[in-house]
Amino acid sequence: MVNTNGQLYTIEGFAAALIMIITAYLVVNATSIYTAGDTHISDMQLEALGTDALMAMGTNESQLSMSPLRTIIEGTPVGNNNATFGANFSYLINNRGNSDPDHIQYIANYSYRNIADNSVNSAFINASRNLSGGEHAVRATKWVVVNKQLPGDSVVQNRTVLVEVLMWRD
Amino acid sequence: MARLNDDAQWIILMGFLVSFSLFFLALVINQSTVVGQTTAESVIEFPKNDIRDVRGVIISSAKDTNFNVVRSDITVISLSRKNAVVNYKVTQPQPPADMHIHAIIHYNNGVTEFDETWTSL
Repeated sequence: MVNTNGQLYTIEGFAAALIMIITAYLVVNATSIYTAGDTHISDMQLEALGTDALMAMGTNESQLSMSPLRTIIEGTPVGNNNATFGANFSYLINNRGNSDPDHIQYIANYSYRNIADNSVNSAFINASRNLSGGEHAVRATKWVVVNKQLPGDSVVQNRTVLVEVLMWRD
Repeated sequence: MARLNDDAQWIILMGFLVSFSLFFLALVINQSTVVGQTTAESVIEFPKNDIRDVRGVIISSAKDTNFNVVRSDITVISLSRKNAVVNYKVTQPQPPADMHIHAIIHYNNGVTEFDETWTSL
């Protein structure tokens, strides 16, 4: 008769080895953080949308006219709210071609350099909602050349500012 | 001495093996949905729009009368708000030998580096 004792010991050893390997695997894996494969897709699309909207607003129709973004920044005192930006930008990012618009919220600032000490200041433009800190926001930026006093007590000359928009869905 | 009856041991061990194989299959399925760094994240990290934007503003302001002020604006704000070192030099046309504006542009955000020598039409 065939003796199966050896086979039994082999399988028992195999099972014990598997238990140890799985334990080690679980312990090592417990410290690493994985993100799901589709986490950043919506971020990427939101950022692309914001960049496109700012690009559209930063483009002038002809060499004689100024871009909407430049008109907005030049025409508003530093740090003041500008509703035109809100109307234009909100339409570009939220319009879906039907009567049901999207619900993307934004807060827009621009950064300019203080000539005196090379510090960078931020000036508010417009926001659809205040930041509460819990939003998962992405940032889109656009360089704009403006002819403006920056900061308010300097001379009027061509300056470059960086328009920064934080965007999120709620 | 009576012969040892090991029938039950066989059943338990086979149960072990079957459950382990199921466990491994579940692990494989579980791992298929997660990745360390996603494709979309890589797309976000790559500063395509930043480079195009800063390149565009450099070229459009190349003929500004207060060139040095604008250039300082771009380099200082890039460093503080975009975490990118931007450095560039513009050479104005020297007619009649050279009718073109030349710009040498450097961009480096620590991950991606971009260098360009641009010549106007």
